[in-house]
Amino acid sequence: MLVGAMLLGAIPAQAHVASNGFLTLRIDGARIDGALELAVRDAEIAVGLDSNQDGVVTWGEVRAAQAALAAYLGRHLELAAANGGCALSFGALQINDRVDGNYLWQPFTAECPASIQQLSITYRLLDEEDPSHRGLLTLTAQGVAQTAVLGGAHAVQIFDLKSPSRFNAFVEYFQAGVWHIWSGIDHLLFLLSLLLPAVLIRRNHHWAAVPAAAPAFLNILKVVTAFTLAHSITLSLAAFDVVRLPSRITESIIAASIVVAAVNNVFPVVTEARWRIAFAFGLLHGFGFAAVLSEMGLPQGARLLSLVAFNLGVEAGQLAVVTAIMPFAYALRATQLYRRGLMPWGSTAIAGVALVWLVQRAMG
Amino acid sequence: MRSALCALRSLLVLAVSGVLSTPLTANPYLPANDAEVLATLPAGAHHEGLAARRLARGRLDVAIPLAQFYIGQARASGDLRFLGYAEAVLAPWVAGSTPDPAALVLQATLQQSRHEFAAALATLDRSLGAKPDDPQAWLTRATVLRVLGRYTEAQAACTQFMRWAGAGVGLICRQSIEGMAGHLESAYSALKELSTQGMLGAELAWRESELGEMAVRLGRDPDAERWFRDGLDVDPHDFYVRAALADLLLRQHRDAEVLHLLQGQESIEPLLLRLAIAQRHLHDPNFTRSRELLQSAFEAEAARGEAVHRREQARFLLDVQDRPEEALAAALANWAVQREPDDALVLVNAARRIGDMRRAGPALEFVRTQGLQDARLASTPEAPS
Repeated sequence: MLVGAMLLGAIPAQAHVASNGFLTLRIDGARIDGALELAVRDAEIAVGLDSNQDGVVTWGEVRAAQAALAAYLGRHLELAAANGGCALSFGALQINDRVDGNYLWQPFTAECPASIQQLSITYRLLDEEDPSHRGLLTLTAQGVAQTAVLGGAHAVQIFDLKSPSRFNAFVEYFQAGVWHIWSGIDHLLFLLSLLLPAVLIRRNHHWAAVPAAAPAFLNILKVVTAFTLAHSITLSLAAFDVVRLPSRITESIIAASIVVAAVNNVFPVVTEARWRIAFAFGLLHGFGFAAVLSEMGLPQGARLLSLVAFNLGVEAGQLAVVTAIMPFAYALRATQLYRRGLMPWGSTAIAGVALVWLVQRAMG
Repeated sequence: MRSALCALRSLLVLAVSGVLSTPLTANPYLPANDAEVLATLPAGAHHEGLAARRLARGRLDVAIPLAQFYIGQARASGDLRFLGYAEAVLAPWVAGSTPDPAALVLQATLQQSRHEFAAALATLDRSLGAKPDDPQAWLTRATVLRVLGRYTEAQAACTQFMRWAGAGVGLICRQSIEGMAGHLESAYSALKELSTQGMLGAELAWRESELGEMAVRLGRDPDAERWFRDGLDVDPHDFYVRAALADLLLRQHRDAEVLHLLQGQESIEPLLLRLAIAQRHLHDPNFTRSRELLQSAFEAEAARGEAVHRREQARFLLDVQDRPEEALAAALANWAVQREPDDALVLVNAARRIGDMRRAGPALEFVRTQGLQDARLASTPEAPS
């Protein structure tokens, strides 16, 4: 009968999680300590536990099936180092309960031929019966944890266990610093607001071109150095959890700092020693950078190095922007276009954008 | 973009913190005695079924009914494992250059259940290309399009469904779409007046659940309650209806009744979620456990990189964890994938909790342009305690 066979309405997609196994491995030299959790339901499908066919799996039935289970796991889970397989030996089975039912908790140890640098894991549990089954892996070696999803199309995976080389960590965090300043338009706009007038000098209530390169260069240097020093300080304090500020506040104050710096170019209040503004607000910008670092985390054993690398990256990124823009500013400094146009109107535009950000960020 | 990144970040944080805190800090135990029951096995969950599954590899006339059986079991038990078994059974029949159309339709049903909506539509197109007169294919297509909020196309699919399946069920399909696209009152009346003579259990249950949903959106909770309870009488395993009824009871602050309604259903996440909300309101001692279970379930899902339960996750973050910003991010990520009234609702509720309705812009815009009526969007949701 057509109707009876039909599946009317939607199959509610909101149901259980799909079938997961949980594999935890802890590596120490040539030895692996681990546990595999497999749902009782999944073990039944794979191995058959309900020996009396009464529709119910009891602890007694599970104990009786321990050997069959170990054999199944041995055939469907393989751990190997570069120079050979690692023999698994299984411990005493226990039970762990999770939201979708009881799981068999099978502890095991494995001995590999030599100290493991690279571990290959082959996970083929339930590959014949349930292609949606996956193994959720947590692998810990030398204090560093990695996670992965095993099974399906990714039944065989290889994991590097060397702790991240100090060089790699340095490069990674340096790049992150550069990327962050280049994509951190608020930091750049703040810096720009302070640098636009660096090639000018305030005389009789108007802006005039600075007479020589040296004072301009010195100005720029002071501003950039002050900004750099200040945000390095607070970034380090925040990264080591000495000081913390909620991000809504720091983001709002950063926006405010841009408004202040930009408006100062249009209605000059501070015309000398702008490096002081750079330093004061640089302290706050440092907390903004810290938010990024806290997302990435600092790797154990290379924390200071990574922090320094990140700072250097920020500096390098800044320097790139400054050397790209300031020569043009210097060249144009005597023109009306620059003194009456670009500088004040550019600053006004910056102030406008920053004001919008300030309102958005303060309101949440 | 920012909200997508925030959603991704929340998922990653959940996943990493969760997975890192599993097994070696888990609490396995040794059961007290041999008679302790660890699992009850529904039909189809036995190792012995392997024989049938092997047979299905070579015989379509075994594969199709077996796959249908597994899919039906998935629906009845809420256990997605059965979908995996169905997938294994269908695999040889949907591969290759001339896949079987009926097998493709079942494959599309699997994909729909996993929220792989684009894939489901593509699979249905392949099936309908080879066999345009399969009512199941049209119905599944209409359902997927409805979830995606593409009501005009869904209506066209319902028309085709009606052509091949007949007026009775066809009308249920049509009126449920009409009810989404600005004609809620008239669709509700039409569906109520529909003659149920000759309708079988499944059709009756379908009609009742649609009526219940419509009544909810019309703001007529007492009527909705009747429809939902009737639906549960016909099919006590319909946990979609059970969840809808639980939501109704939660709206009316009848938290104790929620505990009773969902007793024994803790292993089905959407129901566990409603149970946890009720437990929270009642300061029930089991609340902590429920919350832990839900947290680990969402973490496992995030770890897999799948997101079948994004809507539940958003609601969990909002109504259990009290983290409205993350809830909003999750709700926005959910909205990008599906557009049912409940998806709009969780987004609107999150924005309301934050105090900025503009953050629910996408959903509000959709509701406005489609003429989607939903009384729940206007009212204040249950207050957290």
